[in-house]
Amino acid sequence: MAEETAAAAGGAVGEKIIHTYPLIRHTDMSEEMRTEAVELSVTACEKFSQNNELAARMVKESMDKKFGPAFHVVVGESYGFEITYECTTICYIYFGGNQAICIWKCS
Amino acid sequence: MAPKKQKEAASKSRGNLVEDEGLDWLKPRALIKPDDQEEVPDADLEEEVGRILSTINPQWVADEVAYHYGRGMFVIKPRPTFGKAYPLYIYQGTAIRKDSDEAKAQIAAGYGMVGFDDAGPKRAKVKKSAAEEEEEEEPEPEPAAPAEEAKPEEDEVAAEEQKPNEEKPQEEPKEVGEEGEVAAEEGGEEAAAEEKEEAPDLGAEEVLDIKPRVKKLANQFNFCERAALTYNFPRRSVDTQTIPPPRANFGSTALQSIIFDYYQEDYAKKLREKEEEKPKRLRKKTAKHVKSEQQIHDEKLAQRIREAWTILERLVNQNIYDDIAQDYRYWDDPSDEFREGMGSLLPLWKFQYEPMRNHAVCDIQWNPHYQDLFAVAYGSLDFTNQQKTGCLCLYSIKNPAYPEYSVVTESPVICLDVYKETPYLICIGCYDGNVCVYNAQLSLETSYQYKSDSVRDKHSNIVWEVRWGARLIDGEASFFSISGDGRVVQWAVMPGELQATTIITLTSNVPPIPGPDGTMITVNSCGSCICFHPEREEIFMVGTEDGMIHTCSLKYNRNYVRSVHGHHMPVYRISYNFFNNSIYASCSGDWRVKIWEDGRDEPLFMFELGSPVGDVKWAPYSSTVFAACTADGKVYVYDLNVNKYRPVCVQAVVSKKTKKLTRIDFNQRLPVIVCGDTKGTCHVVKLSPNLRVMCKPPKKAQGIDQRTLQIMKLDKLLSLVRDPPFQTGVVDEKFEDD
Repeated sequence: MAEETAAAAGGAVGEKIIHTYPLIRHTDMSEEMRTEAVELSVTACEKFSQNNELAARMVKESMDKKFGPAFHVVVGESYGFEITYECTTICYIYFGGNQAICIWKCS
Repeated sequence: MAPKKQKEAASKSRGNLVEDEGLDWLKPRALIKPDDQEEVPDADLEEEVGRILSTINPQWVADEVAYHYGRGMFVIKPRPTFGKAYPLYIYQGTAIRKDSDEAKAQIAAGYGMVGFDDAGPKRAKVKKSAAEEEEEEEPEPEPAAPAEEAKPEEDEVAAEEQKPNEEKPQEEPKEVGEEGEVAAEEGGEEAAAEEKEEAPDLGAEEVLDIKPRVKKLANQFNFCERAALTYNFPRRSVDTQTIPPPRANFGSTALQSIIFDYYQEDYAKKLREKEEEKPKRLRKKTAKHVKSEQQIHDEKLAQRIREAWTILERLVNQNIYDDIAQDYRYWDDPSDEFREGMGSLLPLWKFQYEPMRNHAVCDIQWNPHYQDLFAVAYGSLDFTNQQKTGCLCLYSIKNPAYPEYSVVTESPVICLDVYKETPYLICIGCYDGNVCVYNAQLSLETSYQYKSDSVRDKHSNIVWEVRWGARLIDGEASFFSISGDGRVVQWAVMPGELQATTIITLTSNVPPIPGPDGTMITVNSCGSCICFHPEREEIFMVGTEDGMIHTCSLKYNRNYVRSVHGHHMPVYRISYNFFNNSIYASCSGDWRVKIWEDGRDEPLFMFELGSPVGDVKWAPYSSTVFAACTADGKVYVYDLNVNKYRPVCVQAVVSKKTKKLTRIDFNQRLPVIVCGDTKGTCHVVKLSPNLRVMCKPPKKAQGIDQRTLQIMKLDKLLSLVRDPPFQTGVVDEKFEDD
């Protein structure tokens, strides 16, 4: 299980558990694509932890290369969206406990 | 005078323009003269300078000299043939001079006239006529310009003319003559100018007239072009529209709180799963433990109940078969005392396993360790109607109703052997060529413990006999199997698998048979039984289906140590004497039992039993007693010490109409025989006292033990038989007796 859980004892308050593993919130991707997307997101967010734009760009470009163009990626901590996507191409994941990454394709 | 000249020049240029107008009306041609151009009189301009082409090279130096090194002086260079001109390329032209005779002749002949098909000149003519018309109607703006220019010039000229005229009166008186001359001159000049003005027009007319008359020769390269137009296929546009990939909408909101909540939820789920999963093992264990406490209890209870039931079953059976059990141990046929040299068999129990009713007892063997236990291999000897399954059973005499251990196999079991060292290990050979090892200690559900690999190394024919052998160097148990495919294979019981080693491939005397594609197929003789030397582990004997008995050694895998043509039919079994290792008995489908001695090609004894002999066994208690069972359901017991020619006992154990006896085995300690028939029944019979006569030690040597006595007894017998080298009388005598 790829679970990296850092537990910090918070004294009397109790344990505050910070989850860092990628958590798929919603997806209809194929297994292969999903794995790829999740791995890419993890890599990108770890690489550009301070720059969501670059992370999104990296994910988008890699996905474009792998699965054909017109992928859209949103990386951010709080946002709302309402999108139209081509079926079997959406992946909405949480990562690092505070980031939401939405990857979809629409050309 | 200069203006006049200018006027002349202008008029001339105008004339030129008019002339050119027909051909080159597009561009106005105003002749521009450089300012510093030298003034040349018209006469000089008008003068025609003829150009003469001469053959003399003006560039050529007549007397060119060059230094001659040989002579040391300048010499005149030799004159080259062509002067300084060198023809590089000579081409005979087709043009001829117009005024030459040939041309004249051609013109006279009509060539060179303007024809209708001469497009060029015709067009020129048309153009020219058009130009003429234009000129007639109204002058073009271009030509008009010079005309306008010319007007002021004329005015000027007129003014000039007037001026002189004005002046003239002043000068008239002075120079009348002069004036007259000048006037005359002027008039002449004007006339000349007029003439000149007309002249260009005339010239133009001449040119126009001449031009259509340009004579052209018939041009052989004058061809007309031809072309054809093909159909233009109508164009069509075809298009199709694909269904756009399906789309869907999705919307969500990413907020820290949502993310956190979802993570919490997921984590909780994971924890739960983990708890569920991890304890699965643990819980299983614990549950197992918990359960197993219960289970152990249950099992113990079940075991105890089973044991109790077993005991109860045995009790019941022993009560039912009490008389048989009594007979088994204590009853001896009292009538034997009165009939010398004859014995009888007392039938005891019949063992039958209900599911194996239609199977034949293919092999039977007493357990070497437990005297009341024997193993039975259920297979089928009816090869046209072979059974699908087989069975391995262990029967105890204590319970004749049901086998102690039974396991159904995938293939009919043809042979078995119980391992002497660990009597719960039983190896079996199957009809499909597999060999297996069963562990009777394991519970009933477990099947074989070891099995030969069906693909890699099983026999390709029926395994006819298996025998446990000595342990290997590494300490693994091993057994040998002989099969109808002519191979003797040693199986090493490795942990988890059986490792096969082919000991010997039985060659036959049959020459190789040519196969369908020209290859020679060597024919192996089919092995049918194997028997190991009781003491020398590497020596074994092999009987084949063509009646041969080969003595082989594990150390030679190609050749036989000895080969005897023992029978005319398949050799079913070979048995070594327990007391003399060089004596063995063989039985065969040719109705005969033969007693052999090692190294002798002829049998010592030969007995005709009147039916195929399924099995022959030496008695473990006597050196001269052996038993054989035949297909007609009889058991023959011979005691060579008592009667060398006739059996001491012949008893039909089963009805010969429905059943055949297949195998027989002596109990190692008790005087009972078990024999199997083709209907899956095992018959246990007891030997009467006359069949198990022990040797009485002679009075001289009382301390000699039974074994020595038995050996002595056999030796004594053998010495009697050995003397005549060849005995034909044995069989004959029997036949005579019959």
